[in-house]
Formats: sequence, structure tokens, C-alpha cells
Amino acid sequence: MGLRQLLDWLEPHFSKGGRLEKLYALYEATDTFLYRPASVTRATAHVRDAMDLKRIMIVVWLATFPAMFAGMWNAGFQANSAYAAHPELLAAAQGTWEGWRLFLISFVAGFNPGSLWDNLIHGAAYFLPIYFVTFAVGGLWEVLFAVVRGHEVNEGFFVTSVLFALILPPSIPLWQVALGISFGVVIAKEVFGGTGKNFLNPALAGRAFLFFAYPAQISGDAVWTAVDGVTGATPLAQAAEGGIDAVVTGGVSWMQAFIGILPGSIGETCTAAILLGGALLLFAGIASWRIVLGVLLGMVGMSLVFNGIGSATNPMFALPWHWHLVLGGFAFGMMFMATDPVSAAMTDTGKWIFGALIGVMVVLIRVVNPAFPEGMMLAILFANLCAPLIDHFVVAANIKRREARHVRQ
Amino acid sequence: MTKQVSTREILLNPVFNNNPIALQILGICSALAVTSNLNTALVMAIALTSVTAFSNLFIAMIRNQIPSSIRMIVQMVIIASLVIVVDQILRAYAFTLAKQLSVFVGLIITNCIVMGRAEAFAMQNPPWASFVDGIGNGLGYSLMLIALGVVRELFGAGKLFGYEILPLVKDGGWYAPNGLLLLPPSAFFLIGLFIWALRMWKKSQQEPAPFTLAPQVKEECAE
Amino acid sequence: MSGNKESIARTLIVALVVSLVASVFVAGSAVYLKPVQEENRQLDRQRSILAVAGVGGPELSSGEVQKLFEERIEAQVIDLSTGEVSKDYDPLKFDPLKAARDPASSEVLSGKEDIAGIKRREQYSTVYRLVKADGSGELEALILPVRGYGLWSTLYGFLAIKPDLNTVVGLGFYQHGETPGLGGEVDNPKWKGLWPGKTLFGADGKPNIEIVKGGVQPDSAGAAHQVDALAGATLTSKGVDHLLAFWLGEQGFGPYLSRLRQEGV
Repeated sequence: MGLRQLLDWLEPHFSKGGRLEKLYALYEATDTFLYRPASVTRATAHVRDAMDLKRIMIVVWLATFPAMFAGMWNAGFQANSAYAAHPELLAAAQGTWEGWRLFLISFVAGFNPGSLWDNLIHGAAYFLPIYFVTFAVGGLWEVLFAVVRGHEVNEGFFVTSVLFALILPPSIPLWQVALGISFGVVIAKEVFGGTGKNFLNPALAGRAFLFFAYPAQISGDAVWTAVDGVTGATPLAQAAEGGIDAVVTGGVSWMQAFIGILPGSIGETCTAAILLGGALLLFAGIASWRIVLGVLLGMVGMSLVFNGIGSATNPMFALPWHWHLVLGGFAFGMMFMATDPVSAAMTDTGKWIFGALIGVMVVLIRVVNPAFPEGMMLAILFANLCAPLIDHFVVAANIKRREARHVRQ
Repeated sequence: MTKQVSTREILLNPVFNNNPIALQILGICSALAVTSNLNTALVMAIALTSVTAFSNLFIAMIRNQIPSSIRMIVQMVIIASLVIVVDQILRAYAFTLAKQLSVFVGLIITNCIVMGRAEAFAMQNPPWASFVDGIGNGLGYSLMLIALGVVRELFGAGKLFGYEILPLVKDGGWYAPNGLLLLPPSAFFLIGLFIWALRMWKKSQQEPAPFTLAPQVKEECAE
Repeated sequence: MSGNKESIARTLIVALVVSLVASVFVAGSAVYLKPVQEENRQLDRQRSILAVAGVGGPELSSGEVQKLFEERIEAQVIDLSTGEVSKDYDPLKFDPLKAARDPASSEVLSGKEDIAGIKRREQYSTVYRLVKADGSGELEALILPVRGYGLWSTLYGFLAIKPDLNTVVGLGFYQHGETPGLGGEVDNPKWKGLWPGKTLFGADGKPNIEIVKGGVQPDSAGAAHQVDALAGATLTSKGVDHLLAFWLGEQGFGPYLSRLRQEGV
């Protein structure tokens, strides 16, 4: 029996009147994940395109792969380097309950920071549990709401879950992952009516929740290497202390930051891989090039302004734009978060403004706010809130302009 | 509300059926500010309940004498005086709590619940019923504040009334406190969740949808 | 009576009577409760002074606090610029924080001097001497009021030092508005427990106390002058660092402490 036949055979059980009617959402999700849905839009405005919502989501998912693998390698590299420098920590962690990952790793790989394979496996041992927990817990909420509300499971969650897992630091406890994605899915999305009606990016909202709830673990002050007992500030936090010199003397050159050899959240370290994935999104027309360019220009402009002003006490003023680009979550946020079509501005002019707002805000938060070394998450969430307003003004201005063209006599 | 309503109903109605915070969405500001621990939440609840009850009582007593042109100002004067007295009493007998509550006791003056009940109920009803109404609305507010205080202090600091319930990681226990709950915005989420739960339970409180999307075309016209 | 309820005369009379009754009510309660409130304020201050000197915690009753304070604490108003004890003020009534707000009794600090971010410094301040319990009148600890800006707010507290004028007995803040869980951890007994025994001045007599990130190395030479920073609260830690440097320096209690060193405690 082929897969299609199997699904068709199962279908009556799940549709109205069937025994498993309540679980229709699950059946529907499996079916349409594999095959193009048979139902079509019942309305006058109608575009036929191979690129339906599901394919869009899958392309986005694939586009995160370069950043994901580069990030896993880097997380493993950071951890293995730390173990190479402090072999006693490795010995101490092995054989304890907390060291279960090391136990699993030792079956397939070693702990050599020079080996591509060892690093990748080590990173995967941190990333995959995070991703799995995100997917299981977030998926549970999705299905629960779909079943109660009687609609289909939305595949937007595929994207939300992978993005959420990628913006977490590897050292995060798994229960916090579960809590964060629950907040993101329930409060930021389902409460407002589900995918398409959320005005915040659910992955970022979940991370923001963790950021404010457990700031000691996630604010980037003294963590983010997946080794117990090794702490070090993230490069951005170092830059806030002593400027770019502190980052470079800390052992991170611009090139290293660009190809992602520095501690940070899993998916946001390797700028090169992120740009590669981002290029795919731009090429496929999923991410709006207006937003991406807006973010970039806003950031460059604002950092040039700060470079010009200068400050004797705050070394962040002097941070040049090409460093802003490669540090922290800027590149990932620009490509994958700001371009979320649901929570971004909808109009073309609005997209420029929306992007520029993010670019300006991120530099502003990084440089001026003393409490937060990283600003990308807050900048995007702020712009999400402003997006409907931006669109409103763009539309209003357009109406006004067209009215003016037809001056009544 | 008319005279036929029993005292019991006046007292209990605002607790669940017409909760000032959950249904009327009044008094949110202080609910955000003072509920990060149970002590201050409780004191604030008591302070507001007594102010509402007594301002209702006094206003109802002189309701037939108050000229309508200055009725708001008269209500305000009575409420403000009561609030100042409550603030003075707290400073005298609960100094540390008064310090934590800082301006929020004083801001009871601007709390919409007090003004709202004075204008909507005490101006039309006899003193005793008004007093009971004040207590009832105060209880509705208190219930919400205490619920918020319990959740925020227990999960935000691992304590209740300052006594340790969940041993914290930093003191050698197992519970990592949720710092967001100690910040005012968390009360927004919690109030939202409470309202959600309450409206699930009492369907009559659900508001009708402001609009429904009209179908773009009739079914038979499509394809 | 409803007929003339809205008349102007009636309106004025009602307004007058209501205002009169309300003002009598408010004024009466304020006057009646004032002594109790004043006592509370004093008690709160006394309690934090005793706590920072390590001789009393929150478990003491108000009576015990008062008794302990009367027996063991001597308050002195001192002139900050000369370090001399001033007899012009009653130490129990004098409020240095009030004085700092009054241009007549305070001076504006220039940006360079004002490392603690307090803007104005009072000319006179109150210090508290904790004497030994045996009745000999010998000094057990000296308690200095300190304050300075952290991340979001000014931290107000006390620093208690031993008669050698160098070793810390305790540091505590009774009022601040830092982030709960991060900067707010200045109240954490564990962090406060790091302070006793640290030494404040270097061999050259200059203030030398530092809050370091990433943990103090216990066997390093400077360990006695270093305290761990608060995790995730760089700026609050810096604020505490700066306010100690300020109040131990020449603008703060420096002249007073050097006078004590010369003349003996």
C-alpha cells in the first residue's frame, strides 16, 4: 500500500463523524505535510502557485541549515576547546548525571577541538535536545489549540520552532527551553488567534520571556559555552566594557566573528552561513529585500552617527558598523526574524521604515542602554509593535497623495 | 442595580460575576505595581477595600445633599481624605510596608474603582447597601491582587509572605526563580490569563466579537 | 428640599461643610499619628545601623532595637571637609540627606569629583560609633552613611568598619531600586557576607577596595581588597565600587578618618 493510499484509507476515521474526529488536526497536518492539499481558496482573489504556505515554510526551514550546522560546529568547538584547556573539567563532568551528553558523545566521537566531526557531534548533542524539546512542547500546544478550536495545525510552527532553538545559547537548561516556547506559542501567538494573527514574532517573544525571567543565564554576561565551570562574557559584553580592542585581545578577530568562531547563541554565531541561508530566502522571494536592506542601512547609518559623536566613557560609541554586523544576533535577526511576513510591515514603503527602525534601534540599545549589551531581539520586537502603525501611516499617506492628484473643482 | 437585589448579592456579585479588575478592567495600575509580593498586595487590598467601603458609606449618607454641579468634587474630597488617613495609619503602624507601597497608597485616590462605585452606586443607594457594595468591590479587587501576589511571589522569589517555600538555587535549593514575575509587566500577562480562565468558567462574561469576517463570495459562486 | 438643592448658596454651603469636615478629619489624624510615625522612621534607621554593624537583625523587637541603640550607639555630627566633630547640631535630629538637598548646607560636586553620581554633598554628616558591650566605652565599630548611583537608582546604605579604620564589619543598603534578581542582589545575605574582613585602604593610605568580575582569586595578593561582582549586574557593582571610593576618599569621610588615625579612635 502506498503512502497516499494509506492516508486515504485513514481519512474517514478522522473526518466528521469518524471515531477519531477530535484528532483531525493531526491527520491533516501529516497529510498536507507530505502532499499538496486538495482544497483550494474559495474566493475571487486567487493566485495559483507551486509556492504555497507549506512550501514557503519548508524553504525557510532549509535556509536555516547552514547557520544550524555552522552553529553546531562552533558550539562543539567552543566546548571542546574549553575541555582541551581544562581537561580536569571533562573528567569531572563525565560519569555524573549532568554529563549525560558527554556519555552519549563518547560513543561516536572524541573531544578533539581540531576535529570537524568531534565538534559537530558535540554541538549536536546540545542543539538537538533543545530543538527536540522546542518541537515537542511547542507542538503540543499547537495541536492542543488546533483540536480545541477545530482548525488545522499550522506549519508556521516548523519555522518558529527551528528559529527559537537557534537563538538560544547552548548552555540553556532544557526546562527553560520548554517554558520559553510555551510562552512564545501561547501568549504571543495562540492568544491572538494563531498563525497570521500574531503581531509579535513568537520565537523572539519566547526568548524575550526567558531573557527577562532568567537574566543571569541568558543576558550574555558570563555564560554561553557548553561546559560547566567555564564562564566568559560574550564578545558584545566585552565590547561594552572595553571597546573593540577588548574583543580582539579576547581572541576574536573580525574574520573569526564573520565565520562564527566565538561564543554565542547556537544559530547566530556564523554570519557567513546566515547570509548564505538569507540569500536563499531573498532569491526565493520569501524574505523581503526591502526589510533586509532597511535593517542594514539603518544599522550602518546609526553606527556612523555614533562613531561621529564619540564618547570618552562609553567604548561602544566607537564600534564600527562591520563589527555590529558580525557580533550578537544582528545577522540572524536581520535575515530570519525581521523578515517574518506576519509580524513585519506589509506595505513596501512600510517595509523600508520597519527595517530601518530595527537597524537604528539595535545600535541604540547596544550602545546607549547600559543594561543590555545585545539589542537585536528587543529592536525587532519593538518594530513588530510599530508595524501596524507604520502601515497605517503609509496607507493614509498614499490615499492623501492620490486624493491630491484628483483635485475636485 | 435596584432595591430588589439582596445584600448578599451586592456583596458577592463583584467578586466573580462583575469583578472590577477582570471584567471592568479597572484598577490595573496598582495591580501591576504592588503585587510582586503578597505582603504589599494584601495591605493594598485591605487599604482599597476600606477606602471604597467608607467613601461609599459617607457619600451615600449625604447623597441627597450633594448638588449635582459639584458632586464629583465632593466625592473626590471625601475619597482623598480617606486615602490620606489610611496612608497616615499605615505609616504609623506598618512602616516597612508603607515604605514598599510608597506612592501607591496615595494613588488609591485616582483608582477608578473607588470613584466608579461612588458615582455609580453610592449616589443612588442607601448607606448600608453602599457600604456593602464597597466591601464587595474591594473583595473583588482583593481576590485578584492576592491571586497575583501568590503567583508572583511564589514563582518569582520562591516565597510566600517572605517565608521560603521553594528553596532557591542560589541558596543551595533546586528552584530557579523567574525574574520576569518580579517585574510589573508580568502582572499584565497574569491578569490576562486570569481573565481567560474566568471567562472560560463564566461564559456570560465573554464579549461578542467586534466583527466577523464576511465571506468574500457566496459558496456557490466559487469555482 | 430638592428644589433649592442646586442653588448657588446651597452649593457653596455643601462645599464648605464637606471641606471643613474633611480637613479636620485629615489634620486630626495627621497630628495624632505623627509621633508614632516619627518613632517608626527612627526605628527603621536604627535597625539598619545595628544590622550593618552585625549586632542586631530583623528579629529584634522595636523595644530591643531602641534599648540596644541607646546603650551601644553614639551619634556624632561631623564636618566632612575638616573631619572635626561639630557641636552645632543635635545628632539625633540632624538629617544629612535633607542637608544635601538644601543649597545652604551642601555643595555641588563637579563631574570629576562626583564619581558616586550624587550631584550634591552635604557639609555635615552623621556618623555612628558602636561601643563595646562591656561598658568600657571602647569603640567596636564605626558606622558611616554611604550612598551612590547604581544602574537605575541611588543606593542608600551604611558601611561599618572596625576600630583599625580599615577592616569592614559590614555593608548594607536600606533603600534602592535596582533590578530584582540582578542588581537587587545587593540585599542578598550571601553577597553581603563577602564583605566582612575585607580591607578598605592600601599601604599608601588611599582607598583600595575593588569589585571584580569573574570571581576573586582567594590566594591572590589583592584578595583582601576585592569582592566578587554581582552576577549579571555590572553597573550596580560598579556603582557600589564608586560610592565606596567616593565616601572613603577626600570628598567623603577621608578627612574624618585620617583625623581619627592621628588622634586615635
